Amino acid sequence: MGTVISASSDVFHGGISCANSYYWDAGAAFLKNASRQDGESLFAFSYAIMRILSGSYDSALVLGVCKGSENPENDMLTHFFTDPFYQRQIGLNETIAAALQKREYMDRYGITEEQCAGVVVKNLGNALRNPYAHIKKKVEIDDVLASEVVMDPLRSMECAPKSEGIIAMLLAKEDLAKKLTDKPVWFKGYGSSIDKFYLGDRDLLDGQLKTAAMRAYDVAGITDPKKEIDVAEICEPYAFQELLWYEDLGFCERGEGGKFFDSGATKIDGKIPVNPSGGVIANNPYVSRGLYRLAEGFLQIRGQAGERQLDTKVTTALAHGTHGFAGQCHAVAIIGN
Amino acid sequence: MSKDFNTFNNVVRLPHKYAAGATFTKFYNGLKKGIIYGSSCSSCEKVFIPARSFCPGCLTNLDEVVEIAQEGEVISWAFSDKEFFGMPGKPPVIIALIKLDGTDCNFLHLLGGMETKDLDAVKSVVKTGIRVKAVWNDEKNGHMLDIKYFKPVS
Amino acid sequence: MGRPVAIIGSGQSNHGKRFDVTYPELVKEAVDAVFENTGISPEDIDGVVFGTMPSMMEGVALTHLYFADVLRAEGKPILKTETCGSTGISLAITGYYWVASGMADLVLVVGSEKMNEGDPQATMTTVLEPFYQRSFIAGAPGVFSMQSQAWSARFGIPEEKIRDAATRLSIDHHNDAFDNPHAHIKKRLTEDEVNNARIITYPVRLWDVCPASDGACAVLFASEEMAKKLGINAAWVKGIGYSGEEYWFGDSDKVEWQCAIDAAKQAYDMAGIKNPRKELDVAEVYNPFTFQELLYYECFGFCDFGEACDLTLKGVFSREGELPCDPSGGVLCTNPIGATGLNRVAEAALQVTGQADSRQIPGAKQALAHAMGGVVQFNGVMILGSEQ
Repeated sequence: MGTVISASSDVFHGGISCANSYYWDAGAAFLKNASRQDGESLFAFSYAIMRILSGSYDSALVLGVCKGSENPENDMLTHFFTDPFYQRQIGLNETIAAALQKREYMDRYGITEEQCAGVVVKNLGNALRNPYAHIKKKVEIDDVLASEVVMDPLRSMECAPKSEGIIAMLLAKEDLAKKLTDKPVWFKGYGSSIDKFYLGDRDLLDGQLKTAAMRAYDVAGITDPKKEIDVAEICEPYAFQELLWYEDLGFCERGEGGKFFDSGATKIDGKIPVNPSGGVIANNPYVSRGLYRLAEGFLQIRGQAGERQLDTKVTTALAHGTHGFAGQCHAVAIIGN
Repeated sequence: MSKDFNTFNNVVRLPHKYAAGATFTKFYNGLKKGIIYGSSCSSCEKVFIPARSFCPGCLTNLDEVVEIAQEGEVISWAFSDKEFFGMPGKPPVIIALIKLDGTDCNFLHLLGGMETKDLDAVKSVVKTGIRVKAVWNDEKNGHMLDIKYFKPVS
Repeated sequence: MGRPVAIIGSGQSNHGKRFDVTYPELVKEAVDAVFENTGISPEDIDGVVFGTMPSMMEGVALTHLYFADVLRAEGKPILKTETCGSTGISLAITGYYWVASGMADLVLVVGSEKMNEGDPQATMTTVLEPFYQRSFIAGAPGVFSMQSQAWSARFGIPEEKIRDAATRLSIDHHNDAFDNPHAHIKKRLTEDEVNNARIITYPVRLWDVCPASDGACAVLFASEEMAKKLGINAAWVKGIGYSGEEYWFGDSDKVEWQCAIDAAKQAYDMAGIKNPRKELDVAEVYNPFTFQELLYYECFGFCDFGEACDLTLKGVFSREGELPCDPSGGVLCTNPIGATGLNRVAEAALQVTGQADSRQIPGAKQALAHAMGGVVQFNGVMILGSEQ
C-alpha cells in the first residue's frame, strides 16, 4: 500500500483524542506517509484520490473509523459543533437544526409527514437485504408516524441511529488497478462545499449540496444527472433530508422532492434508486457513513451487492456525505465503470 | 457477543474559558441592560444579530453595534418535552429561528409564555409567521438566556 | 511526481495569550494577512484546507464548521486535516497534494490553536487510551524526558554536556524570537537562569519547554501556472516526507527514531538532497523541547548520532553557523499547536524568498520545515527551494 488516508473524529472516538494516533498501526499505516481527515470520510476519499493523481502513489487505502458504541449519544457530541457563546447557550444540536429545517421545508413547499415517513419505510425496507445494516425492521408509514416525538416535527424513527462502522477501501492508479482486478470501478468526479456557520445566517432550504454536486458533475462530465446516474447512495440522517437532497442533486426541481418520491422513482426498482442499502437511517456511523455510501455504489457497479443488487444495469453511481447542522457541509463522489 | 468481554468507563472533563472579544462583550453587556445589539454592514447593506465583529457575507470588520428591535416573526420552530444534553433549562422547550424586525438573518432563541405542556396546545398558538416579542428575566447576567424567551404577540 | 507546486504567500496572527479576540477573530487575522500580503482575492481560491489539535483542546468539535466564514470557505471545497501535533505540516502536505493532483490551482491552507482557553496538558493526556498509557504518561513533557534520557544513555553523552547544549539552544532561540514579530515568548536569558530553572520533568526544565500559545497561520499554495501568472516571488515545494509508528510508546525506538529518519529521507530523496547539512541553508525544526531539537539534528542527518551537542556548542546550528536552525525562535518560543507546523513552513518560505526581514539567513535558497505529533509517533518534513 502506497499511502493510507483515514477519516475519524476526535469527538466520535470514545473520548480518545488525536484519533488516528490510536489506530495508526492497526490501520496499516506503520512507517507509511499517511494522513487523516476529520469528520467526513468522503474527504478522506478525495484526499487519497489527490495523492494518486499527483503521481506520488500507485495505491491508497481509505479508512472510515467510527465506533459508535463507545460514544455518548450523537447529539451530545453534535452539541459541541456550536460556538461557545451564542448557539451553545440555546442548546443547539444536529437534531434541533434538522427539526427547524424540516418545519421550513414543510411550510414552504407543502412536503407532508407521510412523504417524510415514506423515506423511512423505503430505506428500512431496503436495509432488510443489506447484511451490513444496523437497523433491520419492516415498518409501515403508521409505525413511523406513531413513533415518539423527539424534537417536533421529528419523530424517533425519522432520525438515524448511532452505529458502529469501520470501513476500508482500496484505490489504485490505472495500470495497477488493471493488474489487480478485471472489474475496476473508476473515479469519475468529486465535489464538496461548505455553508456559513450560524444557522440563522443560512437559507436552510437552499444550501451547498447544489454546489458540491455541480462540481462533481462537471468533473464527471455529467449534464443530466437524472438520466446519467444509475444509483444514488445519499446521506439522510433525518429522513426528510433525502427529499431535499433529491432537489439539490438535480433529480427534480426545487420543492418537488416529495412529489418525486411519490412517483416511485427512487424505490429499489425505480428509475433512479436511492439508498438501496437502506441509507443512513439504517446505519449511521457518523464519520464513516459517507464512505459506506461510496462502497455501496462500488458494489452495485460490480454487481456484487447481493440481495440488494439492482435489476438494472449500473454503470454510474453517486455517493453523498454530509455533516454539520442541517447540511452545513456536503461532499459528492461519482464513480463508474 | 460483547457481553463476554470487559468494558472500561471513561469520562473526559476539561475546563474551558472562552475569550468573547470586543464585539461579543458589547453584545452581552447589552443583554445585561435589556438591549439587543446587532451589527450593520454598510457594503452589504445588511443587519446581523447577534452583533458581529465581521460581516458573514463580505468578511469586512464591523466595529459599531446597533440596537435591534425586540419584536419579529417566527421562521421555524422545534418543540421537545424531553431532556437533552445542553438543553437550556428544563423541558418542555421550544427552540426557534426568529427574524427580528430590521435584521437580515434569523435569530436562534426560545419561544415561551404560552401553554407548553403538550404539543397540541403549543400548535394552537405557535405557527410559522406569528409575531413574537422578547421577554426578559429580572436578573440579567450577560447570557443569551437573559432574554427569557420570545412570546407571541396577540 | 506531480505538477510543480509553489507557496506564494503566508500570514500569521500575532501569537500569545489572545484573550482579546474570539477564536474566529484570531483565525481571521491570519487569513486576512495572507490576502493582504499577496494582493490575491479570496474569490480566486479553489479550495481550503484547515486543521487544529483535537476538539478537546478547544471544546468545539469539527471546527471547520465554526470557522467556515473566516476561512473564506463559503461555497468552496474544504478538507480538514488533523494529525495531532504534526497537524501543521500535514496541512501543508495536503495543500501540496491538492495542487499537485491538478484538482486545484490555488489552495488556502490554515492552521490554528487557542490553547489558553483550555487545558493543553489535560487535553494531551486524552490522546492516550484509558486502558494502559493514560496512567503513566503525564502530558507531553513526560514522554520527551524519557526520550532524552534514553538518547543520553545510548550514546554515552554526559548529562552536563546535554545540559550545556540545551541551554545554548534555549538562550539563542529566546533571543531569536526578538527578530520575529509574531513570536510569543521573547526573553534575554542567562545560563544560570536556564540551568537552574524549575524542573518540569527531569531533565527538562522550564526554559527547555515551549509555551502554550494562541495563534493562527495561513499559507497559499499555487500551481506553477498560477504562480507565474501572479508574478509572485514563490517558494517551491521540493520535497515531502511523513512517517508514523506504533501508538504504544514502548513499542518503538525513540532514539534512532525511525519515523523521523524516514520522514527526512523521503523528503531528501524527492528533493535530491544527499548532504543535508551542506545543501540546506536553514531549517525550521519542530522544537517544543530543547533536548528534542538536538535529537532531530541527528535523526535528520545534520550530523551523526551522538554529535549534536558538540556541534551545537561549536555554533554549527546557530544563526551564523553552517546550518542555522529555528532563526524564528521556533516552537520553543511560540506553540499554537495546530498552527505550529504550518508556521515552520511559512518561515521556511519567507527564508527562501528573502522576506524574513531581521531573521533572514543571507542567501538562503533551500530550507527544511518540520513537525511532530501523536504519542511521539509522527514526523513530517517539507523542503522548500527558491528555484523551481
